[in-house]
Amino acid sequence: MRALKIIIIFLLFLFIFFLQKEIDKERKVSLREILLQELMYFPSGKFLKEVALEYDNLLSDFVWLRAIQYYGFHLVTDRKYDYLFHIFDILTILDERFSGAYHFASFSLSWDAKKPDSALYLLKRGLTSDPFNWQHYFDIGFINYMIIKDYEKAGYYFYLAAQMPNTWRIAERWAAFAYGKSPKKEFSEILWQDIYNSTDNPQLKKIAKRGLKVLKRERDLEYLQKAVDQFIKEKKRSPNSLLELYKEGYIDSIPKEPFGYFYKIKNGKVIYTKK
Amino acid sequence: MRLKAIILNTFIESIRDRILVVLLVVGLILMASSKFIKPLALGEEAKIIKDLGLSAINFISVLVAILIGGRLVYKEIEKRTIYLVLSKPIKRWEFIFGKYLGQMLLLFLVVLLLTTFFGIILLITNTKGDYFLLLPNLLLLFQLSIITSLAIFFSTFSTPLTASIFTFIMYFIGHLTRDLKALAQIAKSPIVKGISNFLYYLLPNLANFDIKGKVVHEIPLFPSQIYLPIIYALIWTIALLYFSFLIFQKKDF
Repeated sequence: MRALKIIIIFLLFLFIFFLQKEIDKERKVSLREILLQELMYFPSGKFLKEVALEYDNLLSDFVWLRAIQYYGFHLVTDRKYDYLFHIFDILTILDERFSGAYHFASFSLSWDAKKPDSALYLLKRGLTSDPFNWQHYFDIGFINYMIIKDYEKAGYYFYLAAQMPNTWRIAERWAAFAYGKSPKKEFSEILWQDIYNSTDNPQLKKIAKRGLKVLKRERDLEYLQKAVDQFIKEKKRSPNSLLELYKEGYIDSIPKEPFGYFYKIKNGKVIYTKK
Repeated sequence: MRLKAIILNTFIESIRDRILVVLLVVGLILMASSKFIKPLALGEEAKIIKDLGLSAINFISVLVAILIGGRLVYKEIEKRTIYLVLSKPIKRWEFIFGKYLGQMLLLFLVVLLLTTFFGIILLITNTKGDYFLLLPNLLLLFQLSIITSLAIFFSTFSTPLTASIFTFIMYFIGHLTRDLKALAQIAKSPIVKGISNFLYYLLPNLANFDIKGKVVHEIPLFPSQIYLPIIYALIWTIALLYFSFLIFQKKDF
């Protein structure tokens, strides 16, 4: 009788064991679906913040772990990040000052999920609760520079990042680079000059000097090209040399290439060469 | 001397409660789990460890205040030990106040123990932390003072379970009163506006004591963010203990 009881208990456990194995197998097959389904029912951040009472920060940490899990899973599988914004939206509502989450969201959303606008939305919302966070300004500038290619806007945000407390020293250089690529080159010149004057670091001075030289070259090329275009328009031919442009009065002087190269006209285009 | 006896008696009785041990163990496990979460945190270990530690201290001590506080007075009535106590030259206010202080002594030790463990976790995990991290726990003690007073207040006229439920509801509402203020601001009807504002000021606002997020993010705090909630808690505590005394006084023992 006792042996029978033991056998029954053993069989029940055996049954549970196989049942669990079966359930796990099901789960393995549809892990992605489960993840998606879970996220579909993930309530809004505002609702979660209310019900979390005074534990909203702790809840944001759990959502952070979930976000990493979600990102990692899709990174190694289908590279589709449909709910990534939703997760980061919730996360940053729960903890409006979770700097690391904004930073990670800005990169994963704009690069992997190809949703730079969503990343910018989160970062700008982050600025409303943490207006002195240089990282948010820098990330907005970075997305504008690398993805949207709006160099003027990028320069503006890099410049703002450089003005914030405890900022990354490099932010000002990024601002100068970005403005250098935008129509507002004069801003770039001011920033490079500022960097040059404000540092004792010889390496940084070298970088700033180089930035100023690149700007000068770009300005020279623009100035000379305008003169060449005007020459062609009036004389119906390309000038033979810069000297001709100078002699004909199209330019006041022949500028010196700042890196030691020489400006030259080739097929109506101004270029710089070694000779 | 009489007050001291009640305080000690309450404290010893509460510390014997098995639920206290269970809650403390849960709290310690919660905090210790942060060490295992560390590798998953992707650069946010320090924040998670601090959030988890401070929240565990908060959560466990609030549960202790609600669950043990809810049966403080009623247990004496149910077991009829109240007759024995009140037959001695003990004033009724001394009984209520002694119960409150005994419970607060217990809560102070719970917070102290959990905070010490939190400090050990910070040391083990090499997480940067300073005395600034103690501020949320200081305000927590004052929040607990209101919760304990609420529990004693409900305990004077209801069963332990009902008192704990009422206290928990008040704790929940106490963290949502800002919505009443928001409702008052957006409501068009002057009646709704009036009722919302009335309830907002009538109910204890426990969100005043939550500075965990600010401390973890190292946001500087104004002194008023510390001392005003403390004064607020003291006034609420006095009011609730006074109400408890009034109800208790009317009881015929």
